[in-house]
Amino acid sequence: MLRKYSNHRTQSDNVKLGALTAFSAGMVNVASVTVFFAFTSNITGYYAVLAQEISKGNWYQGAVVLLWVTLFFLGSFLSNFVIIQGKGRWSQYISHAIPVVLEFLSILFVGIYLDAFYQNSLKETEILVGALLFAMGLQNGLTASISNSVVKTTHLTGLTTDLAIIVSMFSKHEHRHNKALVDKFHLLLTIMIAYVAGGLFGGIGYLYLENGTFYLTCAILLIIALYDFYKIGRIKRIFERRKREVVPA
Amino acid sequence: MNRDVLVKLNYLLLALLLIGASLVIRHAENPERLIQGQWIEKEWRLEKDNAGADEESRIQSGLKREIMQNVEDLHLGVWHFSEDGSLKSATSADESDMEWFIKGRGHVLELRRNGKPIESFQIQQISKDRLVLHLNFDLQVKGIIEIVLEKKEQLDQYAKKI
Repeated sequence: MLRKYSNHRTQSDNVKLGALTAFSAGMVNVASVTVFFAFTSNITGYYAVLAQEISKGNWYQGAVVLLWVTLFFLGSFLSNFVIIQGKGRWSQYISHAIPVVLEFLSILFVGIYLDAFYQNSLKETEILVGALLFAMGLQNGLTASISNSVVKTTHLTGLTTDLAIIVSMFSKHEHRHNKALVDKFHLLLTIMIAYVAGGLFGGIGYLYLENGTFYLTCAILLIIALYDFYKIGRIKRIFERRKREVVPA
Repeated sequence: MNRDVLVKLNYLLLALLLIGASLVIRHAENPERLIQGQWIEKEWRLEKDNAGADEESRIQSGLKREIMQNVEDLHLGVWHFSEDGSLKSATSADESDMEWFIKGRGHVLELRRNGKPIESFQIQQISKDRLVLHLNFDLQVKGIIEIVLEKKEQLDQYAKKI
């Protein structure tokens, strides 16, 4: 899911990565709206809000939105920075796993802070939403970077546009058998469904788990980070077993 | 211009945005500070409903009355937002434990009674002397209740001047 890069990735790699990251993004987004009254994956909307707040002369609110957008930017920047700077220094899997680990730590920080220290103040709300936006930036930067911009897990405006274009392409008979188009359709549909399902799960889950919703997101991120670790280990074991079988012969 | 210089300018711009936004947040008037004090209710009105003024039907008026009844206990008269986060009314007899919280980017006012959220308002406008709150309705009626409040000290000063 994480160790392959760009065109070396299979459709299955992209679907798994897209579904799990979109699910976690949907969960974080709804949990954040419930706790903080602020979205964490709605950057298009925040650009509009930034302009609106500045035009109304609300400098404080405008600055908060600017800070959030910049933190999302910083997250995406850091994600790709680690991936390209890590090339040749350490394994590709490690480079791709670092942004997931950073995202995990950001969301874990929010969960622990909410449980242990949160006093419901505006300052805390701004910082915690900032941490979640940074986490979402990391995630979106990672998925877009390693999949050659095929997987974008929080960019639902673009996804809905692409999905609509593909559906309209299917109005022509010859496109319905175009494997690349059909694969892309499946991928985008999976991401969309996973995002909505994550949102539903986050909303309903918050009623029962409260801040535990953030820990649950961390668990999903751990699955993403450790899945390839498990796969690499399995491949190694198979390889060594085959080697042992070949040597006696 | 040299590409290397442009890249450095990008990083500089990013740093400036972060520092600039943080400085504004640190020094600009914070809605949490602005709201503290006593506010007097000036207006309560249902805005942006479906029907125009002339075509307003009896059913619409009935619905309005019903909605207003549901939020009747929020008619505090004088809203006193204390620094410790408690909300008291100078005129209402209701002495239950109300708390206020500012959420989001400073655009949401959440009220809680005995720890449970009872209502959240969009802060449409907040300044030293005026606070405009919107209570949204998503279901039965496409409309909002607008509550306009004015700072007590400002009104007192005005009264003294007169």
